[in-house]
Amino acid sequence: MRNLGLLTPELVLAGLALAVMLLDMVLPRSRSRWLTHFAWLSAAGVLALVVAGIGSPAAHGVGTLWVVDSFGQFFKMTVLLTATLCLLMSLDYKALPERHAGTFAALMLLSTAGLMFLISASDLLLVFVSLELVSISSFVLAGFERGNAKSNEGSMKYFLFGAFSSAILVYGVSLYYGATGTTRLIPGAAQTPMMILALVLLLLGFAFKASIAPMHFWVPDSYEGAPTPVTTFFSIAPKLATFCAIMRVFGTVFPAAEYDLQALFGLLAVLTMTIGNLTAFFQDDVKRLLAYSSIAQAGYLLIGVAVGTARGTEGVMMYSFIYVAMNIGAFAVAQAVGQSAGSYSLDSFDGLSQRSLGLALAMTFCLLSLAGIPPLAGFMGKLYIFSAAVESGRWWLAAFGLLNSVASAYFYFRLAHRMFFRAADKDAAPLRVGPFVYGGIAVAVVGVLLFGVHPEPLIAGVRASAPLLP
Amino acid sequence: MLSLITWSPLIGALIVLMLPKENKRAIQIVSFTAAGISLLASLWLIPQFDRSATTMQFVEKWAWIPSLNVTYFLGVDGLSFPLVLLTTFMSFIALIASLGIEKRMKEYFFWFLALEVGMLGVFMALDLVLFYVFWELTLVPMYFLIGVWGGPRKEFAAIKFFLYTLTGSVFMLLSILALYFRSVPHTFDMTVLMGSQMQSLFDPRFQILVFLGLYFGMAIKIPAFPFHTWLPLAHVEAPTPISVILAAVLLKMGVYGLLRISFGITPLGFHWFLPALVVIAVINIVYGALCALAQTDMKKMVAYSSVNHMGYCLLGIVGMTAAGMSGAVLQMINHGIISGALFLLVGVIYDRAHTRDMSAFGGLAVKLPVYAGIMFLTCFASLGLPGLSGFISEFLCFLGAFQAWKWAAAISVLGIIGTAAFFLRMMQKVFLGPVNEKWAALEDLTLREKVTLLPLVAVMVWFGVYPKWPLDLMNATVAHLLGK
Repeated sequence: MRNLGLLTPELVLAGLALAVMLLDMVLPRSRSRWLTHFAWLSAAGVLALVVAGIGSPAAHGVGTLWVVDSFGQFFKMTVLLTATLCLLMSLDYKALPERHAGTFAALMLLSTAGLMFLISASDLLLVFVSLELVSISSFVLAGFERGNAKSNEGSMKYFLFGAFSSAILVYGVSLYYGATGTTRLIPGAAQTPMMILALVLLLLGFAFKASIAPMHFWVPDSYEGAPTPVTTFFSIAPKLATFCAIMRVFGTVFPAAEYDLQALFGLLAVLTMTIGNLTAFFQDDVKRLLAYSSIAQAGYLLIGVAVGTARGTEGVMMYSFIYVAMNIGAFAVAQAVGQSAGSYSLDSFDGLSQRSLGLALAMTFCLLSLAGIPPLAGFMGKLYIFSAAVESGRWWLAAFGLLNSVASAYFYFRLAHRMFFRAADKDAAPLRVGPFVYGGIAVAVVGVLLFGVHPEPLIAGVRASAPLLP
Repeated sequence: MLSLITWSPLIGALIVLMLPKENKRAIQIVSFTAAGISLLASLWLIPQFDRSATTMQFVEKWAWIPSLNVTYFLGVDGLSFPLVLLTTFMSFIALIASLGIEKRMKEYFFWFLALEVGMLGVFMALDLVLFYVFWELTLVPMYFLIGVWGGPRKEFAAIKFFLYTLTGSVFMLLSILALYFRSVPHTFDMTVLMGSQMQSLFDPRFQILVFLGLYFGMAIKIPAFPFHTWLPLAHVEAPTPISVILAAVLLKMGVYGLLRISFGITPLGFHWFLPALVVIAVINIVYGALCALAQTDMKKMVAYSSVNHMGYCLLGIVGMTAAGMSGAVLQMINHGIISGALFLLVGVIYDRAHTRDMSAFGGLAVKLPVYAGIMFLTCFASLGLPGLSGFISEFLCFLGAFQAWKWAAAISVLGIIGTAAFFLRMMQKVFLGPVNEKWAALEDLTLREKVTLLPLVAVMVWFGVYPKWPLDLMNATVAHLLGK
């Protein structure tokens, strides 16, 4: 167990998660909100710990089963930021049972810790264990609204698909072990058919978590049913962490180009974008719509992976960071509106601009950013990813991505259409937006606008943290 | 200075956003101040503008995204400066015409000012990324302006406009990226990309591909046949001030981009495409005129007249002569003024009668002498009556085209007859003939309407009688453009 110190942030977070559980037993029920406050402060604290470690050589290095590099630290920051904001959002989410607030907070933290382990994993054993930690906490989180049939359905589907994809992943690991005699990710394995099969199965296992096309079927149902802060978390953190793992495995250890997998990645990217966007056309529920949109977004990220160049990697990192802001913003507004209206159907957004111009504009900015319209941050991210595709000569990938952006503008604008063009329902329940949700929205909108107008600090940060350790 | 022109509407827009929506007077004052600063600043630049210089003037250049070599680079020359003036001028006029907007006016003025930022930026940006950002910045406000304040089919018109233009612009983005990666060192700077050193890196095949991507984006904006189908819908459904902006400024973005970027950076691709462009110009002229002739809705007729007039513009360009090119740029300005006036005039009658059907009217000239007078003058200017501004630019366009493409010019002359026909038919049906008693109660122009229309009429006469002034602004640049 050399270099366990490298994993200090992860271990601290896991310890804090257990502390939340213990406190849950001691604290009186009327004080259960304290636990959520404690949880988001823990996540923020660990985030500060990771940020403090930037650039310090002691915080980076290669361990037994893990490797801590600035590339991974970057993704840990996005994950921790997401966890903090989602926990804040959950403070204003009324449907969560008070008496389970501690369990909820602890599971969120454990899931986050699992994602951080996954980001650092350089051994398939740790990859599997951390993915299971994430999955098992996620199954429970998805079904947290026990009285809600949709929540139960979503959780069940998630569980069945999750178990299935874990099996695929383990099968891939076993083939990998058969081909190389180790579970450690070491470059230079021979390109035998068994090895390639192992890699493809691993990819499918990852694809489940990252909601990449053939493995995306669980996404809309469990996103729709899960409590909105959890949906927000699902749509961002596991996806980004898995992309980090995908890039670690297929970017440096087994470069996709050497194993003839680039065409496969390109195909998956096109498939994921197109399925996500075209299916989103027909959704009448905001959470489902955003679920399909998040599938499509995974497709854009996958373009960066398929390109496989340094610029592609940087593009994925940059887009990931921006994705946190825009998705948090969109879901936070959805939570505010959906909770007041009691339903997440598109109808509940009718005439939002007249009820609250600020919320409507915030939502519009986040959606436009997701669609990649300048001068918002999403455009800069897409510009970077697509420019990587053009640079490497895969202009067809960029063309598919751009056409998909146009298609996606259609359904994002369906929502804008509701908010601005329709008249508000006279008997609609008044909007009740909690202070924490407002905070989340404010952070998101500032991020979306700031990085759209002034992306330089982000690009510089991404460039500085792009190098991976073997 | 250019930054002040571009950003003062944005500052206005942000202030408007913070004002309470009940305070209508304050919203109007802020909007007028913001657009007024832009207008005054652009007018203030006129005496300082060096008419003989061929380089960019009033240049402002700062690093924006150094890691991608993207710069904040603004500047104007004889091609863009008249268009900047047109934009600030027409925006102000349209703002006066917007005083009648009552519904959700806080949002209206916010989007309107945001739109002005985008339009001004497009004409000043000399960095391709900055250009693209401004180009797209016009889309979203326009979507909302058409979709909320428009006519009966506004929602469909808005989304059709948006998706149509967005599709075009993403291909433009691909071309921009291709140019960036082909240039050494990688740059988005238009002035560098136009330079001979970069030009030697772009082989003809590459230029043709890049040109096609760019053209797709521009042609939709112009709109050049067969990408014009969004235009009648959007123009007809948009509220009057927005139709004015659409016709007067937004369409010019396409032609401007064609000249500045397509012709400037990919000249070989442009020359390769010329024969097709000639055909497109002729189709725009003849087909646009025929379509306009078939309309009974006055606003739709004016919309198709834009297709027709942008055809003249393209015809002036394809001649590749100084006269034709100057004619095309002047035609952009004139069409901006004239079609803006036409949309305002149609808006006037629609506000009163709530119909735009030509056959519903008759003999209005008796009832509304001032209105009829201005309408006649504007129509004559549009159909190219000597002495008014339209004649000069159309004549120059034909002059330019005739030397190289005699047949095309000959067919297009038939288009002029069409143009005259549809305007005269409209005038006859609406203003002449027996008085339709149904409209006996119509009132003549109000003060606000006169204030919006008279400056436009004055410019039409001024440019018709003394075209040297606007032509002098652009001549040096046009000669320089062609000289390469």
